[in-house]
Amino acid sequence: MISLLQRKEKALRQWESLIHNKIPVIYVGSATCGKAAGVMKLIDVIRDTLKLNELKAKIIEVGCIGPCYMEPLMDIKKPGYPRICYAGVTPEKARMIIEGFLIEDDPLLHLAVGHFATNGQNESLGIPHFFDLPMMKSQTRLVLRNCGFIDPENIDHYLANDGYQGLLKAFDVGHDEVIKQVKEAGLRGRGGAGFPTYKKWEICRNTSGKEKFMICNVSEGDPGAFMNRALIEGDPHCVLEGLLIAAYAIGADHGYIYINTDYVLAIQRLKIAVKQMQEYGLLGKNIQNSGFDFEVIIKEGAGAFVCGEETAQIACIEGKRGMPRSRPPFPAISGLFGKPTIINNVETLGTLPNILREGAEWYKHFGVEGNYGTKTFSLVGSIRRGGLIEVQLGIKLKQIVYDIGGGPWKAFKAVQTGGPSGGCLSEEFLDIPVEYESMQNAGSIMGSGGMIVMDEDTCVVDLALYFLDFTQKESCGKCSPCRVGTWQMVNILERIVKGDSEPDDLAQLQILAETCAKASLCGLGQTAPNPVLTTLRYFRSEYLAHVKEKYCKSAVCKELVYYEIIPDKCNGCKLCIDVCPTDAISGIKSEPHTIDLFRCIKCKACYEVCRYNPLAGNAIEFKSSKKMAVA
Amino acid sequence: MSRKNGKITITIDNKSYKVRKNLTILQAAEQNNIYIPTLCAHKELSPHGGCRMCIVEVDGFRNFPTACTTPIEDGMIVRTHTTQVNTIRQEIIQLFMSEHPSSCLICDEKVECAEYLTTIHKAGVTTGCRYCANNGQCELQDVVEYLDVKEINYPIFYRNQRVEKEDPFYDRDYNLCILCGRCIRMCQEVRLANVLAFKFRGRNTIIGPAYDKTHLNSGCEFCGACVSVCPTGTLFEKARKWDGKPEREQISTCSFCGVGCQLRLLIKEDRVIGSLPLDDILVNHGQLCVKGRFCITEIVNGYKRLKAPYKLYRATNVIISWDEAIDIAVEKLQNCAPEKFGMLVSPNCTNEDLYVAQKFARVAMNSNHIDSSARLFYGEGINAYLNLLERAVSLSEARKADVILCIGLDTRYGRSVVGVELRWALKDGAKIITMNPRDHSIALLAEHWIRSRPGTETEILKQLNEIIAGKPNGKPTKYNDQKIWDLKSVAESLKHASKVAILIGSEFMQYSGSADLLLEIEKLAIRLNAGVLPLPAQNNFFGSILMGTYPEFLPGGFSSRNKEKTNDFSKLAGRNRSSFKWDWNIVAINSRDKLEVLYLMGEIPPGSTKNPAEFIISQNIYPSDDQFQADLVFPAAAFTESEGTFINGEGRIQKVNQAVNPPGKALPDWQILCKIAQRMGIAGFEFKSAAEIHAEIAKIIPQFSSFKKPGREARPLAVEGRFLIDKQQKSIPGASNRRDQLFLTTSLVEHSHRSIPLTSWVKGTTKIFSEGVLEISPQDAKKARIEDGDTVEVSSLNDKTEWPVKITPELSQGFLHVTVPQGNYSGPNPQKVRIRKKNV
Repeated sequence: MISLLQRKEKALRQWESLIHNKIPVIYVGSATCGKAAGVMKLIDVIRDTLKLNELKAKIIEVGCIGPCYMEPLMDIKKPGYPRICYAGVTPEKARMIIEGFLIEDDPLLHLAVGHFATNGQNESLGIPHFFDLPMMKSQTRLVLRNCGFIDPENIDHYLANDGYQGLLKAFDVGHDEVIKQVKEAGLRGRGGAGFPTYKKWEICRNTSGKEKFMICNVSEGDPGAFMNRALIEGDPHCVLEGLLIAAYAIGADHGYIYINTDYVLAIQRLKIAVKQMQEYGLLGKNIQNSGFDFEVIIKEGAGAFVCGEETAQIACIEGKRGMPRSRPPFPAISGLFGKPTIINNVETLGTLPNILREGAEWYKHFGVEGNYGTKTFSLVGSIRRGGLIEVQLGIKLKQIVYDIGGGPWKAFKAVQTGGPSGGCLSEEFLDIPVEYESMQNAGSIMGSGGMIVMDEDTCVVDLALYFLDFTQKESCGKCSPCRVGTWQMVNILERIVKGDSEPDDLAQLQILAETCAKASLCGLGQTAPNPVLTTLRYFRSEYLAHVKEKYCKSAVCKELVYYEIIPDKCNGCKLCIDVCPTDAISGIKSEPHTIDLFRCIKCKACYEVCRYNPLAGNAIEFKSSKKMAVA
Repeated sequence: MSRKNGKITITIDNKSYKVRKNLTILQAAEQNNIYIPTLCAHKELSPHGGCRMCIVEVDGFRNFPTACTTPIEDGMIVRTHTTQVNTIRQEIIQLFMSEHPSSCLICDEKVECAEYLTTIHKAGVTTGCRYCANNGQCELQDVVEYLDVKEINYPIFYRNQRVEKEDPFYDRDYNLCILCGRCIRMCQEVRLANVLAFKFRGRNTIIGPAYDKTHLNSGCEFCGACVSVCPTGTLFEKARKWDGKPEREQISTCSFCGVGCQLRLLIKEDRVIGSLPLDDILVNHGQLCVKGRFCITEIVNGYKRLKAPYKLYRATNVIISWDEAIDIAVEKLQNCAPEKFGMLVSPNCTNEDLYVAQKFARVAMNSNHIDSSARLFYGEGINAYLNLLERAVSLSEARKADVILCIGLDTRYGRSVVGVELRWALKDGAKIITMNPRDHSIALLAEHWIRSRPGTETEILKQLNEIIAGKPNGKPTKYNDQKIWDLKSVAESLKHASKVAILIGSEFMQYSGSADLLLEIEKLAIRLNAGVLPLPAQNNFFGSILMGTYPEFLPGGFSSRNKEKTNDFSKLAGRNRSSFKWDWNIVAINSRDKLEVLYLMGEIPPGSTKNPAEFIISQNIYPSDDQFQADLVFPAAAFTESEGTFINGEGRIQKVNQAVNPPGKALPDWQILCKIAQRMGIAGFEFKSAAEIHAEIAKIIPQFSSFKKPGREARPLAVEGRFLIDKQQKSIPGASNRRDQLFLTTSLVEHSHRSIPLTSWVKGTTKIFSEGVLEISPQDAKKARIEDGDTVEVSSLNDKTEWPVKITPELSQGFLHVTVPQGNYSGPNPQKVRIRKKNV
């Protein structure tokens, strides 16, 4: 058996030859986000171009490096140059860049966004370093450190980047010391609730029982969240190493990775990684002569949102319907098949190799007291620079939204954290630090990392309705407050957005939301009303406008809005006629147009064009009257 | 903080209580008579925590924990009825009611409506709506009333689910369902049947079998356990749907098979309206099968129940008085020579009835011509069956075995209580081996399913015996038809088990050569030192032997050739007789000279002869005009209407209690016989009650000491007597592997009561028991171009018969099966046949 050290040396040699390459290396960000942006076609084009020009280059498919808004991303490392990153690479651009750079030695820097020069390398290219880009500057990449740099399907790449050193360290120090280190590092569950990781472990470790289970929770179901998927797609071994460390700490000999079956690429990469680990002697009996036995089973779930809840996930793995059960007993005492079980989030596990390798003290440099470390977020919504980010805890929300994200496209309205279980925070909360407690005090939760930014075009009532509808449909049906309560909330919210509401509705909504939060069985039901509760608290005026005046400020609630052309202002530019999809606007050039309300589908296109196009006269207004809108 | 006696102290509503450990808050509260409303908790089921009605406040808990799921801890402080808790409960119950048609819960007119219910209405007004069969027995109603909720603040959503009525025995109206999950837990946790589950998510969540299958197709045993635990009117028995709340209950014993389940009969207005299982620790552990759960009421309440005696007068039945009827009977009987008298008694009757019957034949008629249809049922194997009964162990003992071998047993419908025990045994780590040519419920549980070709079972068991003994001879895989079982590994499993139990069903009982088969089982049992549990189809087969209702047996199970015992019995009966002739039995009815008087007690004469005797007295609960013509008919009381005892297959003496009065002028069997005997002037029939008969039996059989509380310990049959057997034709083994040959197996109706097939009086059973139809495998049907419902002519060596066809995948290719009423078949079994589709 070749030892891991020998394998590492070999891997390092390989890695060095890749860095100090003789032939160019083309890195393509081909996680699911990249694939959605058209990377598969791009890779074909790159291959064709290379073949056509008889060029030699190595293509490596890497994970997501973060700035999804720049996708597709292509990096080229050519001998003599640092690695240069090109953004928004269309097939045409790719052909141009490859031919320009590789044949004519012109890096086409006007198309590049940044370089990855390490110290001492040529930095006078005239483009910023990639990590000095505004989106990257405020980030601290610990968990995601390998994403975008290594080939996720090659264990040697991971080994060359300090891979599995944390595990070896764990084997050195022993079970209890691992738990102690994690305790000192102050690691808290990254799944959202922020329960100290070591505490769960300790309970499980101290529970007697020969058989214990370790589960990695990749049931990522929030709308707009993708950080866990991106991590697995970019660096599966990091998660698996974390899984092994955790399992070693609690003394589990079987591990499950519960992953949504629609994460096709992630599952594929996990399976490859598990196979490689078996080859390298990182799974099976007596791993690396530590006396520790471990096997991993990849369990594909059908993707029910509630299966992210611990007990529901356990039921699902047991082959039952994914429904939560009451606690106690907690899974750490009686979980999978009645055995002590620990379920940790992907990110929690992904953090472990770092902590073990570098030590708890090192980890405490990041974050703030009580909230050490970093947290990944998927920054989406109305934001200029959306993508996968990792920040130190304690950072201000404002920094995330404005410094990293570049702010919303239009005037800021709210930010939703934690997906359907989280809350909707208004502008006044932009100054709060991103910490478990502060988020909770504001009525939201840290969540697993979904962060949706909304601008003035979003109606909060509509938003609450959207999330409630989601949780209502995903409710497992076991407990009545969640099953019926969420549905009744959807009912009331639907009445409000349709303008059929009565004055009592808000009070009723509040009571219902509180009942649901207090009396539901599991976390899904208990947090389901959060979007309603927070929007009711911070955007009450908007609710009142909907209920009393039947007016939707954002013109999202179509039944409350009608559009009108102010004849005095209309200059007859016909722009609105061009954009109207239903030919509802008519008129002749240079004369005031009229709008046919029967045809109008309230898509807001005319309003936008009239308001923002300099040729138009800003003549279209939306008004609210229930009666008119219905007519 | 006292921990003495394993008790801990908790405070509920400012009062402290000392309770046992390992309880939930709800259990602790219930023990101390503190009411906490709940809809999903049930004492037999695991905590669910779904309805959230039982939320309480507990110091130190973050949220509101549910009392049903939270285990108590020492020093716990619980508040069950704070304002906040009550408000939340009221909110939740409103949510429930927004999904549940709720006019039965909160109608404004409820009180007044009830008041004026009896007023004469001259206009078409609705008064006293009854839209839910569960009205008055509904747990949701109780909770709503307790929480004093008068209005619903939410829009009402009617699920608009179709009421599911297509499956037999119970209806399902999921519009009323509150998704408490009790039925699912019952099905999954207690019965281990896993038929029911939650389906869909969110508001569309509903309960039912997976993939929208019907219950019939999804393995449902129709045990009705789900119906019993439903807190609302969602699941409801078809038979007693609108009967309302029962007035009282009576504990009794089921009379439909040899398992002998303990029942709770529900009674209203002197009518048995339902039957529920008794949570009995010895036999059925709170479970019943479809027969005990749903068939009893339909049998005892059938509209054709006999209510008065009648006689045949000029080919019509004329109702007569008891006096006249008994006069006629006495006249006929007194003029009848003992050798011209015959009596058939059903092994479904109580011991007391059976004892009086045999005493009537032997003492009043001075005849030994008494027999029962059980002889036909077990055929030539009846003695071997008795041998096995002597080795009987109790079900709870058999369940503890490492390997359970089931021979010819199917527990899907009948005996499903045994099936539950088997599934529990499997869960506890036992191995199950089953031998049955048909696909059956145990096949799913079995490690080895010996799917024998009908007729080869004896040979297979013989080989199994030889392999276990270590001297195999011949080719053991000769009969390995399906390649799914291997006799060697079966033998291995059996050999290495520390404890083996053999359960025997009815499948092979009517096979030719069943005696050899049962002997092989006995050998196997001796070799493996296994406990045997034969499960007789007749609930009181055991009793009928002990009571001596066969020519070969005297009360106590003694041989009627035993001179000493015959003397003893004669002395007790006041007659002088030292021997009984064995010159007659049930088989002889059709072959010998015609009897003068045939007395049928819950029996019908075998064979198709309409007039097996010159004068027939029939004493039963239903008329059986279509089978034969009785000259005098006595209406008998059903087992719910009389008192007595049964002995089940394990040998437990169990009490039958009178729940209601017999209909009309019907009387218990023993009373009718005593009346006739007294009128005939015979002494020894002056019984006033079943208890007196029981006391007389106790003189012969000491176990019959107490009538009020019979000793219910399982006691294997140990009798001296044995049956006299006419060997039937040797079997033609179905061992031929030629696919073009068809073999027909026949069996007698197993699910009957007092010779009445359940299918004729319980409509639902026609869907689950196939009787009087020719069952055929899909392959054979395809080959013969036969479709379901076609009529087919089956020709064997001796005769030709026509039957309608039912195609069933349960049979393997090359085999046909038909279930016939007793005595209606001839020839060897199985036998080679040809089939031909009849032209319509």
